[in-house]
Amino acid sequence: MFMIANAWKNVIRNKGRNLLVMVIVAIIAAAAAIGLSIRQAAQSARATGLANTTVTAQISLDRSKLMAAAQKQSANGTQPDFQALRQSLAGKELSLTDYQKYAKTSTAVKSTYYSQSAGLSATTGFQPVSTSSSSTSGSTSDSTTSGQSGSQGSSGSSQSSQGYGAGGPMGGRGMDSGDFKLTGFSSDAAVANAANGKFTMSSGKVFGYDKTANGQIIISKALAQFNNLKVGDTVTAANTTDSTKTYKLTIVGIYANTGSTSSAPGGMGNASNPDNAIYTSFSTLDSLGLSGNSTNGGSQLDFTYVVASKAAYETFAKDVKAAGLSSDYTVSSPDITQYEASLVPLDNLAKFALTLLLIVLGVGGAVLIALNVFNIRERKYEVGVLTAIGIRKAKVAAQFVFELLIVTMIGLAIGAAAGSIASVPVSNHLLAGQVAAQQSQQASQAAQFGRGMQGGGMQSGSQGQGAPAPAMGGGFAAGRASALGKTTSYISSINSTVSISVVGELVLIGLALTVVSSLAAVVVIMRYEPLQILADRS
Amino acid sequence: MTTNDINSTHTNDNTDNTPKQGGIETPDNPKAHSEPVLELKDVSYAYTKGGKHVLDHISHRFAAGKAYAITGPSGAGKTTMLSLISGLANPTQGQVLYQGQDLAKLDRYRFRSHDIGVIFQSFNLLPALSAAENIMLSMDASGKRFDAPKRQRALELLAQVHLPEEYANERVLHLSGGEQQRVAIARAFSYDPQILVADEPTGNLDLATQADIMDIFRSLAHDQGRCVIIVTHSPDVASDCDEVFALAPLRRASQRGTAQRGSAQRKSVQRQPTQRRHDTVSAVPRTGQQS
Repeated sequence: MFMIANAWKNVIRNKGRNLLVMVIVAIIAAAAAIGLSIRQAAQSARATGLANTTVTAQISLDRSKLMAAAQKQSANGTQPDFQALRQSLAGKELSLTDYQKYAKTSTAVKSTYYSQSAGLSATTGFQPVSTSSSSTSGSTSDSTTSGQSGSQGSSGSSQSSQGYGAGGPMGGRGMDSGDFKLTGFSSDAAVANAANGKFTMSSGKVFGYDKTANGQIIISKALAQFNNLKVGDTVTAANTTDSTKTYKLTIVGIYANTGSTSSAPGGMGNASNPDNAIYTSFSTLDSLGLSGNSTNGGSQLDFTYVVASKAAYETFAKDVKAAGLSSDYTVSSPDITQYEASLVPLDNLAKFALTLLLIVLGVGGAVLIALNVFNIRERKYEVGVLTAIGIRKAKVAAQFVFELLIVTMIGLAIGAAAGSIASVPVSNHLLAGQVAAQQSQQASQAAQFGRGMQGGGMQSGSQGQGAPAPAMGGGFAAGRASALGKTTSYISSINSTVSISVVGELVLIGLALTVVSSLAAVVVIMRYEPLQILADRS
Repeated sequence: MTTNDINSTHTNDNTDNTPKQGGIETPDNPKAHSEPVLELKDVSYAYTKGGKHVLDHISHRFAAGKAYAITGPSGAGKTTMLSLISGLANPTQGQVLYQGQDLAKLDRYRFRSHDIGVIFQSFNLLPALSAAENIMLSMDASGKRFDAPKRQRALELLAQVHLPEEYANERVLHLSGGEQQRVAIARAFSYDPQILVADEPTGNLDLATQADIMDIFRSLAHDQGRCVIIVTHSPDVASDCDEVFALAPLRRASQRGTAQRGSAQRKSVQRQPTQRRHDTVSAVPRTGQQS
C-alpha cells in the first residue's frame, strides 16, 4: 500500500516530467477520441440510418449481361442481330404474376406496389404542354427521401437506355412515343413514389384503385391550364400507334409537382415532359389494354417490394434466388444503394480517422516508451536504493507503473474531454471537406462527360444496378428526368458524441499505452541487481 | 588451500585499549555465547565469474549482543563482505547463514527489509525525499508495526543522531555528508533490526556525534542483544567494539611475496596514517595466509 502512496508522492514531486507525459497522453487521447467518435458516428449512421424506414427492393433484368451474350453469338456478323436481341430481352421481362410470385416466396416482403406507363397521343381537344415553352432548368434537389427511391431506381434506366443507343437502333424503343405519358399505379404507395416526384393536389382527389374507379385520371396543373380543363371534365386521348383508337378519361383531380419539377431534355418528345404526365390506377391502364408488355410503347412494369430493413432486404434477395430467379436478373435496392452512396464521405472520413488513430497511437506510444525508458534509467539509483532496503522488485515496478497510470489517466481524462468537445466541430469540418471533395469529383466527372446533371443521377447510386429499367416509351424520359432532378445528398454533419463505448475504448487505449510503456520500465527494473546499481553510483 | 582461510579475529582485550574499552563490561553477555545470529562459512566471492576473488575462504561467526569491527586496508573486501552479510550478493562459494539458515535460500528481500539494517558507505538515501520520509520508507518496507506513529518515531531517531528537527522535512539532497550519514544511521535503526551493519558509519561525523553514535551501537548490542557489525578504518571505532575482525588484503595467487605485500601495505599507510597500527595487528595472521 505504501508504494501507492509513494507513487502519488512521486507524481507530485516530478511535476515537470509528469506534465510532459500528461500532455502527450492528452494529445493522443484527444486524437483518439475524435477518431473513435467519427468511426462510431459512421457505424451508427450505417446501423440506424435505415433502421426505422422501410427499404424497397426491385428485381431487374441484367441487360448488359444478356446483350453481351447475344453479341457474342453474333460476333461473326457485321451487324448485331437486333431482332434476336430484342426478342430475347422481351421474353425475359417479368410479368406481374412473376413479380407477385416472388413477393410470396419471401416472408421478408412487407408489401409491394407497382406502376406502369404507356404513351398516349394528343387529340384535337387535348393537347400536350409544349416542351420548349415549359422548360425549367434542371435543379438539383437535395430532398431525397426514401419516398423518391422509386424514381431513383428508374434513373438507372437512363443508363440502360443509352446502352441500347450504343448497341444499335434500339434507342428508338427507349424514346418516348406519344404526347402524354399515362402511368398506372397499384396503390397510394406507388403514387407516392412516382417517377416525377411528389406532388400535391391543387384540386380534386386522387383516383381510386379498384375497377369502379376505372377511367379516372389526374393531370398536372400545367396541362389543365394549357387545355383549360378542370375537375370533372372528360378528355380523349388516342393510341400512339393507332390514332383511330381513342380512350375516354375523366379528370378527378389536378396536381402540382412539388420538389423537382425538372424538365425533360428538349426534343425528346412531349411525353417526357413531366407536365404531360397523366396518372391513373393500374386497373385503368389494364382495362384500356395498355398494361401488356411491349405494347404501345409502354414501359416495363415497375414493381417494387417493400421490406422492413436492410437485413430483410438481404433475406429477400436470398429467398428469391432460392425460389428460382435466374442469374439473368439482379435484385437491388435503390434505397440501400443510395444510402450507401450518401455514406461515402463519412466512410472516407472514418477510414481517415482510423489511419490517424493508428498513427497517433503508434507515434505517441513510441514517444511514451522512450520517455519512460529514459525516466526509469534516470531513476535507476532510486530502484537500487529501494531494492537495497528490501522492497521487492515487483513492488518497485508496481510503483513505477502506478505512477505512470496516474499520469496517463489524468492526461487521458483531459484529452478525452478536449477531444469530445472538439470532436463535433472537427469531424463536421473534416466531413464538409470530404463532401466537397466528393461533389467536386462529381462535378468534374459531369464536365468530362458533358452530360451535366446526369452524372448526378448516376452518382446517386443506381448506376449499373439496372433498377426496373423501363426501356420503352416513357421510361427513358422518366429515368432521364429523375436523373436530372436528383443528386445524392451526402450525410454532411454528424452529431458525434463521445459515448460510453468510446470512453471505454479510450480507457483501454490508456491502459494499453501504460502497460506497453511501463513494460520497458519493468524490464529495466527487473534486470538490475541493487548491488550493481549502487556500485555504479559509488 | 584450507590452511590459510582463516583471518584472525581477536577481542579487544588482546589489543592495547582506548580508555573507553573499559566501559564495555559485558562481553560475556549470555546472548553472546548463544548460537551465532550470522555466520560466514568458508565464503569466497568474485564479482565476475571466474574472475579475481575479492574474498577468499572467509569464515566467521557473529553473535547477538556483540559489536564487531571489521577492519582492513582498502581493497581487502570489507564492503564486499558487507554486501554478502546484508544479502545484496550471494557468495560464489560457501554460505552466509542467518540464524542457521542459508541466506541464499531465504527471502533476501524480507531479510533486508526486516532483519538487517545497513548503513551504506554512500548512505543510499533517496535524494528527492525528506530525511523523515527516507526513514519512514524503510519502516514501511519492513512491514513491522510500531508503538509510536512512524513520523514521530522518525523524529525521535533523528534527535538521537543529533540531527536538528528542522532537518526532518528537508530533502536529503540539501543535507551535508555528515547530516546524510546521520539520516542513514537513523534509518537503519528505525525498524529495529536484529543485525545492524554499518560501512564507515562515523567517517563524516564530528567527534562528539561519533561518540554518541558509538554509544548507540554499543547499547544496541549490549542492552538490546542485537548484532552490530561495523566496517571501519578508525582505530577508535574498532577499539570501541567487542571484537575486531581484520581482513587482510588479498593477493593474487601468482603474485605472492613480501615485496607485493609490502607495497600494498605502504599504499594503505599513505592513505590513512592511523591505519598503520591496525595493519601491523592484522599482519600477524596474514603471514599464515595464502601459502
